Amino acid sequence: MLNFLKQVGDYAKGTAEAAKYIGQGLSVTFDHMRRRPVTVQYPYEKLIPSERFRGRIHFEFDKCISCEVCVRVCPINLPVVDWEFDKASKKKKLKHYSIDFGVCIFCGNCVEYCPTNCLSMTEEYELATYDRHELNYDSVALGRLPYKVTEDPMVTPLRELAYLPKGVMDPHDLPKNSRRAGKLPEEILAEIKPESK
Amino acid sequence: MEQGIDLQSTFVDALMDLGVPLGSAKALWLPLPMFLILVSATVSIFVTVWLERKISAAAQQRIGPEYAGPLGSLQAVADGLKLIIKEDITPAKSDPLLFTLGPAIVVIPVFLSFLIVPFGQNLVITDLGIGIFLWISLSSITPIGLLMSGYSSNNKYSLLGGLRAAAQSISYEIPLALAVLAVVLMSNSLSTIDIVQQQSGYGILGWNVWRQPVGFMIFWIAALAEAERLPFDLPEAEEELVAGYQTEYSGMKFGLFFVGSYVNLVLSALLVAVLYLGGWDFLIPIELISRWTGISESTPWLQVITASLGVMMTLLKAYLLVFLAILLRWTVPRVRIDQLLDLGWKFLLPISLVNLLLTAALKLAFPIAFGG
Repeated sequence: MLNFLKQVGDYAKGTAEAAKYIGQGLSVTFDHMRRRPVTVQYPYEKLIPSERFRGRIHFEFDKCISCEVCVRVCPINLPVVDWEFDKASKKKKLKHYSIDFGVCIFCGNCVEYCPTNCLSMTEEYELATYDRHELNYDSVALGRLPYKVTEDPMVTPLRELAYLPKGVMDPHDLPKNSRRAGKLPEEILAEIKPESK
Repeated sequence: MEQGIDLQSTFVDALMDLGVPLGSAKALWLPLPMFLILVSATVSIFVTVWLERKISAAAQQRIGPEYAGPLGSLQAVADGLKLIIKEDITPAKSDPLLFTLGPAIVVIPVFLSFLIVPFGQNLVITDLGIGIFLWISLSSITPIGLLMSGYSSNNKYSLLGGLRAAAQSISYEIPLALAVLAVVLMSNSLSTIDIVQQQSGYGILGWNVWRQPVGFMIFWIAALAEAERLPFDLPEAEEELVAGYQTEYSGMKFGLFFVGSYVNLVLSALLVAVLYLGGWDFLIPIELISRWTGISESTPWLQVITASLGVMMTLLKAYLLVFLAILLRWTVPRVRIDQLLDLGWKFLLPISLVNLLLTAALKLAFPIAFGG
């Protein structure tokens, strides 16, 4: 009899505990209701890409010396460098240059190793096309600069999470000139310099 | 107790003044409330779908539907239109008759149950003597439809979903009926009107939640299981059964399941409001207000206000419960099938039996408080 009563008591305790946990869970979900949505409404709002963002590669035709270092450091030898030896000036003359962004993995090795800095990363990431062959950019397409998100009148630029002030989760309606958390690289440099002197 | 507005007798009297015989005047009245309830039940789908999507979005810090109509309120209309336009596919080697009959059998009882849902003293289609038990018997027809559609789809997931739906409905019907029985015991009537009447008079203090807290919880859990809401949506558990009995359906037949589940949710919420939250009863008794202000209860404009307040209160309570159901959906994980049956048979059933016996004992001991 006592054993049975104990079982009943344990069962009731377990039930009360389960009810408590469900209540706790409900309070969590209820609390989420008053938070502002973190949604970035894409075509109308866009995140500002970070300074190290690796987007579509930019190429400066006139700087290129056709050394093909970019081809050698590329994991799949992707850049196509079409050059011809000019006997008069005894230099390689670049005719065409292209990168197929349908195959590129945006690792940035070519940018890293280019001796004349004619390759650079842009913040462009909207590369959708109807035909994958359109992603094969020639030197003209590679020479175009993307439109900045912050300068587009149709787009509300939003800061990424790492660029928000400390404790702020929501990039909407930030006060003007609000600072990101932590120090900027130049501030850290300025602090280090007097110490090293 | 004041009778309030009686639209039926007013309408019939007005027609009889115009020279229409009594029988035809009553026959002319009959389709009006039915049509009204049918329309409001259909509109409630749109409201509930909108609420579901917006509240779900808010709980997940999303925005939810936004472009279809103001604040995305016409999203359900857009979804419904899409379903109507879609091709109606009957899978190969299925049973076409049962396949078509299934969704209809699921939906019809749900709409029929609105017969007994009161929105006010006289705002009900029929005040049946068996009242609340009509709903219980009608709700047990639904699993037959689910089983039919699951069996006829010629798909193992559909069959499993249908079987699960039947098992779930049968196991949760019993605690549901027992919880209702305890309420019936206190109000000495099965009629939904009488059940609300018995709760009114003391405002919020008179509601059945205070006398039947355990019954309220049991009823709500069982009603969620009957409506296949999320902690108990095993018959259509997408991770296990694709979409359960709905797997092979497309177009408006699929839409009917959708309609059925949302109307069922609203219906369950309305019945909880009627059985436990005092139906159309206001927080403070209306008689008290009229006594304070010195306005007679039979004043026409006060009666109009009282009636509309009653409808508002019923809907408010129901939608508060719908809100709770949606919140629960994003809080509680889905139970396993064995946990589901354990909860139904080993927990809710004994508890509801004890609750019923306790109510009977309390009714004998304190006949004043428990409706002797």
